[in-house]
Amino acid sequence: MIQINNIRKKYSDGTEALRGINAEMGKRITSVIGRNGAGKTTLMRILSTQLEPSSGEVIIDGLDVMKDTSEVRKKICSIPQEATPLGILTPMEHITLYLLARKFQYREARREAMNALDSLGILEYRDKPADTLSGGTKRKIFVAMAIASNADTVFLDEPTTGLDPVSRMEVWSSIRKLDGNLIVTTHYMEEAEELSQEVFMVESGLIIEKGEVGELLSRFNGKVRAESHSPMDGGIRISNTYVKYIPEPDAAEYIRMGCTVKKVTLDDVFILRGVSLES
Amino acid sequence: MNPKFSLYFAWYYGFRVIGRGPSYVIASIATPLTLLFLVYVLSSGTLVQYAVIGGFVTLVAANGLTSASDAAFMRLQAKIQDLFVATSISSIDYMIGLTLSFLLFTVPGLALYSVLAVLYHLFTPLRIAIMIGVLIMLTLSTSAISFIIAGSIKHIRNIWGITGILSIIMTILPPTFYPYTFLPKYILYALAISPATPAAIILQGTFGLSPEFYTMIFVLLGETAIYLSLAKYFTRWREK
Repeated sequence: MIQINNIRKKYSDGTEALRGINAEMGKRITSVIGRNGAGKTTLMRILSTQLEPSSGEVIIDGLDVMKDTSEVRKKICSIPQEATPLGILTPMEHITLYLLARKFQYREARREAMNALDSLGILEYRDKPADTLSGGTKRKIFVAMAIASNADTVFLDEPTTGLDPVSRMEVWSSIRKLDGNLIVTTHYMEEAEELSQEVFMVESGLIIEKGEVGELLSRFNGKVRAESHSPMDGGIRISNTYVKYIPEPDAAEYIRMGCTVKKVTLDDVFILRGVSLES
Repeated sequence: MNPKFSLYFAWYYGFRVIGRGPSYVIASIATPLTLLFLVYVLSSGTLVQYAVIGGFVTLVAANGLTSASDAAFMRLQAKIQDLFVATSISSIDYMIGLTLSFLLFTVPGLALYSVLAVLYHLFTPLRIAIMIGVLIMLTLSTSAISFIIAGSIKHIRNIWGITGILSIIMTILPPTFYPYTFLPKYILYALAISPATPAAIILQGTFGLSPEFYTMIFVLLGETAIYLSLAKYFTRWREK
């Protein structure tokens, strides 16, 4: 269980990245979603003891992140955004070294590393230098570290950014195999929707929406999304596209009018919330 | 403390990397060997003993300073430092691991200079013992400087230029390849900002090449302590 109490972060250049975050994260997989620059990475870095907040408090399983830092670090695993393997080292060496940093014995570290690589289907690459591997496989090295860590709480910051769709699916399939509670940031809403039990939407350093996926989507009450490049009566303009939420039975009529009709997703929760914030 | 982590870090990132990319080793000995050759030619062999002793100093100091590029790369680009922050290790374990791995790159060069030192009859057990002590201090102080730089910069591109400039200022300008007595004392004290200066002066005295200058022992000890303290602060285990 993670308890976040009024976390604020103002960087030395004056940027206010977090403006008072309050949350309770207790589900097995929690997604933190939001646009680039929304404050997701700052929040993750504070939760995982890498960054000091300007004010506020974070409690993980009863331990204060600022005061009980060494104890917290034993319980968590954090994979930073855009973490890149060292090209000259192999996957096996990366994971073993990471586990040694977590105080595993050498043999135990090797065994856990082998198991994790095997569970991700990349055991055959274990002794190849990382710079000879594909982007997806490189990313899986870090997921393997998280799997092998046996940490109570795992933080994954945008684990699929920059990957092709197949690699993204592979990485997400691997993430499902993780034990413990998982906090993931992403800006791919469909991924959050498919995987998470709970979602937090961050925008401009604030949580603007939270809840279970089904609960958030139920607000649309059976509606679907109609999109058009031409103005629509009652539509919301987003750049050069107009979006309108319509009852499902009306979909055929909108399609005849040249609109594209789609099922609502978390994108739509975000769009509606974002628009209401602007207004 | 997690010395096991530091040793394995050195093993993986030092020893194994040497086998996979020997260019690191060649790069580390290229400058001191080139300068040794120049000193030999320009002094008709009279100053070659200075250059052999200076070679040890330059090799270790230059390696310590160039480790800044890897430390900065791991912090800013690869985010490996962040990965290790959220584990049981401390910034000291991490720094020792990276320092030891870079020290391994110098081993072939140190072996080569040891052969030269034997050929020029420079070694005695006492001199070897003092040299080991001085080189350990030099490794600690120059690596500390590299962590200070790596922890201070904001953009990875800056590091290549900074380490290049520092390597020259901190290893070539100090009296590593010529007698320190060539320089007035005030310049020696100014150059002592580089740990290579007191290290070279101490070793020139130890090896009987120049008069002893005991003050430099305290200078080396003092600046090692200062640079290490600053490095611990600048490594930013939890950023502000």
